[in-house]
Amino acid sequence: MGLIAFHRFQDLAREENVVFYYTGYFSQAMVTAMGDALRRRLDRSDAANVTRRKLFSVFMEMAQNVVHYSADPLTEADDGEIRRGALWVGERDGHFYVVCANPVENDKVARMKEKLEPLRSMTNADIKALYKEKLRADGEAGSKGAGLGFLTVARDACEPIEFDFVDEPDEGSTTTLFYLKASI
Amino acid sequence: MQNVYLAATAATPEVDFRFDTHSLSLKGESYPENAQAFYGPLLEMTARYLAGLDHARIVVDVQLAYFNSSSTKLLMSLFELFNDAAVKGNYVTLNWHYDEDDDTILEFGEEIADDYPALDFVAHALVA
Repeated sequence: MGLIAFHRFQDLAREENVVFYYTGYFSQAMVTAMGDALRRRLDRSDAANVTRRKLFSVFMEMAQNVVHYSADPLTEADDGEIRRGALWVGERDGHFYVVCANPVENDKVARMKEKLEPLRSMTNADIKALYKEKLRADGEAGSKGAGLGFLTVARDACEPIEFDFVDEPDEGSTTTLFYLKASI
Repeated sequence: MQNVYLAATAATPEVDFRFDTHSLSLKGESYPENAQAFYGPLLEMTARYLAGLDHARIVVDVQLAYFNSSSTKLLMSLFELFNDAAVKGNYVTLNWHYDEDDDTILEFGEEIADDYPALDFVAHALVA
């Protein structure tokens, strides 16, 4: 990329009020450092404590989701995972938003849609009730958390979460690009 | 039973389990990469400690400013152990410290109080 293209990229980020953007491989150490930088940035803003906490929570759920579930790992083991994705935090119309993107295996898409779609039409009270129900349920197969990650994001968001699944450009790809957005 | 002390890190809370004085505390933030790996051994030690007690007075202080979704269920498992010990005839106080404007942490505490009624749950608002 020439410097001109880099300028264009920077200008677009500025126009879109991007507070923070990272793309590449995510590890726990990276996520911890990014979280720290985000907090310091928020300390200099006039955001309310409640907003800061919710933003940090959504950021952490999404970033750790990339570490644990992106379909592009650099590592084999379940510890010290490093996986590829992208995450950005921006500000628009008085709200912060967080977007993450990472590849997922094609055969996981239907199940993820089933989990995410209902969250879009639920009220905050419904989301909290479902969260409490899941808190008491047994863990899900294939989940390294408690199956509470997307619910936590939806709980902390001030409007319905948005998501998308976009085909990868290579034909015959076994993965799909997953996007998730939440406003706080 | 050996006491346990783990200093806080960015992603894990300070653990100060003084089994000899029945005083246990968790303080800080919890978003480890692998919550099971962090809490698993603590759950196991706590279960062994509680198994040997009868009519003990145990005080648990929890002051967590943030925990991620994968820590949540493991924390619930820990509180379940204390509740079981209280049902068996011990007296367990859970001091739940939260920032006064942090409804998420307060509501989580209230869930614990609802689910584990044998605990003497006391919410303490931290005023900034």
